[in-house]
Amino acid sequence: MRFKFIVLFPIILMVFGLHSQNKQLLYDFYEIPQSLMVNPGVNAQERWHVGVPVISGLSLQAATSGVTVNDLFANDGIDFNVKVRERVLDAMGRRDDFSTTTQIEVISFGYRGRNRPDDYYSFGMYGETDVIVYWPRDLAILAFEGNGGANIGRGFDLGHLNVRGEMVNVFHFGVNRKMNDALTLGVRAKLYSSIFNFKSVNNSGTFSTVPGENNTLANTITADMQLQTAGVEGFIDILEQDGGRRDDLERLFAQRVLLGGNLGVGFDAGFTYKLNPQTTITGSILDVGFIYNTKDIKNYTLQGSASNEGINIFLPEDIDDLGADLWQELVDEIEAAVPFEDNSDGFISFRPLKVYGSIRYDFGQGGKTLSRECGCAINVTESTTTDYYKNSVGGQLFVIKRPLGFQPALTGFYQRRFGRTFTLKTTYTVDKYSFSNVGLGINLQAGPINFYLLGDNLLAYRNIADSHYASLQFGINILSWNDN
Amino acid sequence: MKAFFKCLCTLILLSTGVWSCSEEQDFDQFDDLSITPTLASSLFSVEAEESFINSVPVVNTFYSNTFNFDPFNENFVAERLLEGTINYEFVNSTSKPIAITIEFLDEAGNILDTEIFDIAAGPGFTATRDVTYGTGGKPLAILTTTSQIRVNGFNLGDNMSVSSESDPRIIMNSAAEFLFRLE
Repeated sequence: MRFKFIVLFPIILMVFGLHSQNKQLLYDFYEIPQSLMVNPGVNAQERWHVGVPVISGLSLQAATSGVTVNDLFANDGIDFNVKVRERVLDAMGRRDDFSTTTQIEVISFGYRGRNRPDDYYSFGMYGETDVIVYWPRDLAILAFEGNGGANIGRGFDLGHLNVRGEMVNVFHFGVNRKMNDALTLGVRAKLYSSIFNFKSVNNSGTFSTVPGENNTLANTITADMQLQTAGVEGFIDILEQDGGRRDDLERLFAQRVLLGGNLGVGFDAGFTYKLNPQTTITGSILDVGFIYNTKDIKNYTLQGSASNEGINIFLPEDIDDLGADLWQELVDEIEAAVPFEDNSDGFISFRPLKVYGSIRYDFGQGGKTLSRECGCAINVTESTTTDYYKNSVGGQLFVIKRPLGFQPALTGFYQRRFGRTFTLKTTYTVDKYSFSNVGLGINLQAGPINFYLLGDNLLAYRNIADSHYASLQFGINILSWNDN
Repeated sequence: MKAFFKCLCTLILLSTGVWSCSEEQDFDQFDDLSITPTLASSLFSVEAEESFINSVPVVNTFYSNTFNFDPFNENFVAERLLEGTINYEFVNSTSKPIAITIEFLDEAGNILDTEIFDIAAGPGFTATRDVTYGTGGKPLAILTTTSQIRVNGFNLGDNMSVSSESDPRIIMNSAAEFLFRLE
């Protein structure tokens, strides 16, 4: 059962896993204060905002680039092993991945500078979990089929093992500055407090079974593999203890959250630029940073090369080896050639870098400047007339750095504002997970209370088990457009 | 405020209730998963030059060795082995007939099974034999309790003759393919 769990864990995670950091609905949705988190240079409008602790920004996303829950577990009478064979082993490639990204905003504040009203300062703390595991295709085939039969002569690529994950608490402080009527810039400094981190990337090597020179078959392994962990052993040690487990876990978790573990630094930067009164381009780069892992380190390595053709006796050369433990000698020889070792060497882990860009065209003039009508829109000069448009249409590009390269997503969107209180945004996104991802987001401003709800891939909700992608983000803030 | 929360509830219901439907799923299917890989590896080989065979003064037996051989009775293997085949290959380029016996011994040294191979004189003699264990073959217990292997080589000819081959020798190779149930 344990082995089954280990083998199918990636599949299950891929099916149920939370995926993707693309927040295409939130991006440039400047009515929502949390849009500052995906572009610190967004066209911020509010005078101040306070996120309702813990629920100001919840982000849960789920996706699969390969098999779905329904593919495997639909009650369709098809043998489960056939489904695993046809829909997982035969269908999924090494670039198929599953990942989890959850983000919980714990604290979020923002306010406009009293002496510099063009500056909007925001700060807070959020927790983020990010895990990505690529489907280890060759290793899965090796486990399911073995190296015998038709697989003799086949090389199994050990580089198919690609895993990266972390849980981190982020303290951040950002400044959003309106440089002039056209340009708004923003930057956010981040301090990362790592809770745990692990990665096994850039592995290489092969395992193959081919006709041998000194015996029928030769099993050959060439491996350069490494799993680096930081902060994991501490939790494992507690879990393996008999008593006081929960208290100890909570204590360790709190310690790591509050800068007691491995630390790192990083920054976000972004801009908004009006090409003309109706056309705006934006861009941002997020999580340019790293964590320097020196505490609670345990790394595992498998490096070397060996070829095994069993016990080989050559006569007369080996006649003196009578009585020797030939089997143990063989095992020792292989272990010496490809040692599985561990160490506690520190390492640097880079955060998953993300880049956004967009172009937006506003149309359907809906009124005069926001500042004239409601006293809001601090981010405009009082003497300048800024038109208020009901509609926006545009495109967005998102790219994230993943262990196997950059992963893009392209989004087209339409946004509609119904007065000052209600805004809708709908998106269509194409990425490696879906070509039919239609999302819908709403932002509701009821007095000082701001509520937003953003949902992705809504068409798939007809049969959520068959969905390749689903996400939900929501939050509640209290904000002010004026002096209240 | 009341209207706000009404609206909030409605939207959440819309997004999570109305839209999210699902066909019937049966997660118990997971228990039906069967993982049965075939693992292949060489086991052992013996290669003896004809000059060595001729040099052994003891008539008949030119080699006898008992060595520890634990791969079959490792717990992980013994508990999961379903069936298997051991393939033996022989090439005899010497001038004399040879006999090789393979004895499978348990930890106490008791003989569990014996394979006897009569190899005709060379040059140019080749032969293979597949021995199956499990379904339709010998009992799996022979493998799972084997802790040692004894290899005996017998010269069924004389100590004088020399093959016309340039490098005459007797070669015995062996490899196995085993079917395991990992789950």
